[in-house]
Amino acid sequence: MENNENKKGGTDRRKFLKLGLLSSVTAVAGTSLVSNLATDEESKTSGEKIRLLTPDGKMVEVDADNINKYPEALITPEESRKGIPNRKFVMVIDLAKCKNARKCVESCQKAHKLDHHEEFMKVQLIQNNEEGSPYWFPKPCFHCDEPPCVTVCPTGATFKRDDGIVLIDNDRCIGCKFCITSCPYSARQFNWGHKDKFDDKSQPYSPETSVPAAEGTVMKCDFCPDLLRQGELPHCAKSCPMGVIYFGDKNEDIVTNGEETVRFSQLINDRGGYRHLEHLGTKPNVYYLPATNRQFPLERGFGDDEEINERYKNVPYVQELKKQGKI
Amino acid sequence: MKSNLYKYTFITSIIIAFLFSNNSTAQENDISNYKMMFKFNSFKQSDNSRLLEVSFIAKNKKDRKDKVPVYDAEIKFFNILNDEEVLLGTAKTSKEGIAKVIVPESQKYLTDADGNINLTARFEATEALDEEEDEIIIKNLNLVLNLAEIDSVKTVSVKAFTIDSLGVEVPLEEADINFYIESMLSKMKIEEGSISDGEYEFELNKEIPGDANGNITVIAMIEDNDDFGNITQKKTVNWGTFNKITVEESNTLWSEAAPIWMYVVLTILLVGVWANFLYTIINLIKIKKEGQDEDEELEEVELELKIDK
Amino acid sequence: MNLNNRKRELVKEFSPMLEKTSLVSKIWIGFLIAIILVGLYAFILQVIKGHEVTGMRDNVVWGVYIINFIFFVCISYSGAFISGILHFLKTPLKNSVSRIIEIITVLSIVIGPVFILLCIGRLDRLHYLFLYPRIQSPITWDIIAIITDLFGCFIYLYLTFIPDLAILRDNDNLKVPNWRKKLYKFLAMNYQDTPTQRERLHKITKTMSTMVIALAIVAYTVLAWIFSLTLQPGWNSTIFAPYFIIAGLYSGVGVIIIAMYLIRKYFKLEKYLVQSHFTWAGLVLLVIALLYAYFTFSEYFSKWFSHKIHDTDLLNTLFTRYFWQFIFANYIGVIVPLVILFVKKFRTIKAITFASVVAVLGLWLNRYLIVVPTLETPYLPIQDTRPEYIYYSATWVEWALSLTGVAAFFLFFLLIIKFVPIIPISGIIDNERDELEKDENLNKNLTE
Repeated sequence: MENNENKKGGTDRRKFLKLGLLSSVTAVAGTSLVSNLATDEESKTSGEKIRLLTPDGKMVEVDADNINKYPEALITPEESRKGIPNRKFVMVIDLAKCKNARKCVESCQKAHKLDHHEEFMKVQLIQNNEEGSPYWFPKPCFHCDEPPCVTVCPTGATFKRDDGIVLIDNDRCIGCKFCITSCPYSARQFNWGHKDKFDDKSQPYSPETSVPAAEGTVMKCDFCPDLLRQGELPHCAKSCPMGVIYFGDKNEDIVTNGEETVRFSQLINDRGGYRHLEHLGTKPNVYYLPATNRQFPLERGFGDDEEINERYKNVPYVQELKKQGKI
Repeated sequence: MKSNLYKYTFITSIIIAFLFSNNSTAQENDISNYKMMFKFNSFKQSDNSRLLEVSFIAKNKKDRKDKVPVYDAEIKFFNILNDEEVLLGTAKTSKEGIAKVIVPESQKYLTDADGNINLTARFEATEALDEEEDEIIIKNLNLVLNLAEIDSVKTVSVKAFTIDSLGVEVPLEEADINFYIESMLSKMKIEEGSISDGEYEFELNKEIPGDANGNITVIAMIEDNDDFGNITQKKTVNWGTFNKITVEESNTLWSEAAPIWMYVVLTILLVGVWANFLYTIINLIKIKKEGQDEDEELEEVELELKIDK
Repeated sequence: MNLNNRKRELVKEFSPMLEKTSLVSKIWIGFLIAIILVGLYAFILQVIKGHEVTGMRDNVVWGVYIINFIFFVCISYSGAFISGILHFLKTPLKNSVSRIIEIITVLSIVIGPVFILLCIGRLDRLHYLFLYPRIQSPITWDIIAIITDLFGCFIYLYLTFIPDLAILRDNDNLKVPNWRKKLYKFLAMNYQDTPTQRERLHKITKTMSTMVIALAIVAYTVLAWIFSLTLQPGWNSTIFAPYFIIAGLYSGVGVIIIAMYLIRKYFKLEKYLVQSHFTWAGLVLLVIALLYAYFTFSEYFSKWFSHKIHDTDLLNTLFTRYFWQFIFANYIGVIVPLVILFVKKFRTIKAITFASVVAVLGLWLNRYLIVVPTLETPYLPIQDTRPEYIYYSATWVEWALSLTGVAAFFLFFLLIIKFVPIIPISGIIDNERDELEKDENLNKNLTE
């Protein structure tokens, strides 16, 4: 009984706090925070919260939108077709370092306003063969150089830019789903029904942010060109605590995971970088470094979230572990 | 009235929040459990201006991962000599808890006899938070970066020196220095070295693509030096081996325009078929016209029929 | 000139079908409209609530709709193909079935594409297909092919209607409302059946029938390419285009036989639709069944033999989760018709019709097995916990709309054969005229 109440209390508390803080902010006049954060009471709450400490000693949880102003330069659907000049973006994922912390998934979901199950970046558990040990496999869109999805699009709603990024203009998409069936990597998702978040027009739509999504259209990982334009790493690379995801410009031949900056060609040559399902000829721009000399045992990737663990139940290795009672 | 009402809601919500705060995952809101981290740094930038930066973050004493930035706190930056305080600027902390001030090159600093500059950042106490202060004492170091091809060898060299009160250059005795190549999203280390007698030199024999024009930006950095703080110097040179990939403007399956042959085949097929449809329709119209001409004849036939009967 | 009398006689013979609607037909029409209304409700629901009401999800993004689309469109293509070929055959038998085939052709090319529209997430943006066309996309090819085929089939059907419409127009004894008479007059285009008109009509019908055959082959191919040009393990097959042609003919001939049976039974046309119609259609079905079995076997056998990993995964899905469907579609759906049609003793009208029903159902299921299991077995394993995202099962909305397609097909069929005689009168006249001429020639020769 008490347990139940506690659980419920968690969400309730947050709700109350939110309410309380918004109101407190209007109440305590005079502090500079007030003028910054609470000038427009009508401002919609995006649900994204950040915790801050104010000089008057209050720990506040505020709506990120009130502080986080989106880049003023909005890239319109038309402009977003061109790409960033002279760049050729490439991602390298070091499978040896991945421990399924899922920070990439979560930060991506947060930035693209995705729901729990909507994942542009997925972490799969892959076992190459029966003898081979399984490994965590973060999988974004591969932004192929010969993208089958773009080929089959009847309206040009999905397109490949000069900088190598494959984007979707959901103003143009008619929802025929042909791109979804033609993508061999299951990178694309469809908005099957209406969601309230689609109506949030506080942020103008740009294919570079993929926000807001629209009913009856396709969406996928976009390599975060809005961040790239500001010289920042995509959300997944930025948030990875292990530095698994390197990102950079292939023309410069330099990739970085935020901590370490290395030559792309050298990384691929030294570590045996490869592309997933190379034989399909799609020429992905996402490279993988094989899961050799793993830094973490695989089991570390099984977190507390039952639902997440449940996803991997069909992997033979997981079944074996379950039999042995290890997870 | 209205604000009062809000106030009560706030208080109630806080009370209720405390009621439920035995939740294990709850984040703490009592600032006594937090330790203030107030860190001050100086960065001499490539244009010889000086970036003063304070990072002001509350760290949970128990949970190392729980860090809360102090937001909107006013930080004052001073240049101090004995009792004399010169205000260099004030800034408020961002949502990351960082306050920045850029002091232009033209700023004349107060220095002691050894040429040391005392820089201080100060947060004045509020009712809830104590005063925080951090000072750094550095010398104004000049870093000169030189990129030149010597005997067709790409050579990077730096000279580091301070200027004494008489205006004489005094070479830096010893300091660690790092060299980087600037890239779009970060910088890549290419050389680690140590300056001695005010100089350091190395050959850049790696092939580096650089940007689209073949330009490479080399950054020389003395980092976290006790005597000089952070000093950055950068320079751009056309040493890049960037191969501008000549993108053939070919029509592909995934480009906007299709391969030419596709247009040709499609046009031939469509014209062929629709021409046939048109031909059929024209013939139908002819049949209609012929029918009109036959009208009289038909009447005769019908007459005949009646007679037959 | 007793041919004119024959025309009157024939119109009189068929007039009950044209003039009156029997109680059974009325009940049928009411029933069909009821189904269509349910379908309409389902459609409105889908428009309001979005595709969430269907069983389709991120992995299986195409479901029953696309299967119905292929099914109907393939029936149409095979109808066009067969009626085109029939035009070049010199047999009096063809006259009784030609109109049935042509109506099937046109109706299914009208109904089929509606199902692809049901698959589209943003119907409000349909015009983008023409605003921003990309001709690299197989969908664009398909749209062009379907529109062209639709026009071709309509023109062809109309050409075959003209002589009959003229006969109906010229017959004063027909008791139909005035508007229908006016419509006959308008549509008959002053056709007076003069030798020059007849010759001209024959000429254009002939070119159109050639065109329709060619169109059918192109359209079939393009339809198959929607699947076979992707990289998916079950779809990326070079034999898909011919396989679709054969499979389409298999279902097409099956549907024609079923239609012949129903029309023969309900309109008492035993005189026109005789055993030899069924025997011949049955023999055609037999040949196609053999070809179809051959293609199906080649397709799966090569996958099984070379056992590429992803092909094997697909076959595993087919032989575990879809075991009974696979058995029915690819064994029973082929073997039962083959046995019935192969043994001469079994070739009764009822048995042949039964064989056709099995063939048509089997083929629909075959299409299901081409579309759904492939999407459920992608290159990267589906790691999800939501059952509806792992396996596809159609919802009542999808079934209701599928049935609506079938109901609409029947309803339109009933309405069309109320408008023109199901057995072309002009065809009977033409045959009789030919015989007369033959007799005259014979007489001439004899006298000479």
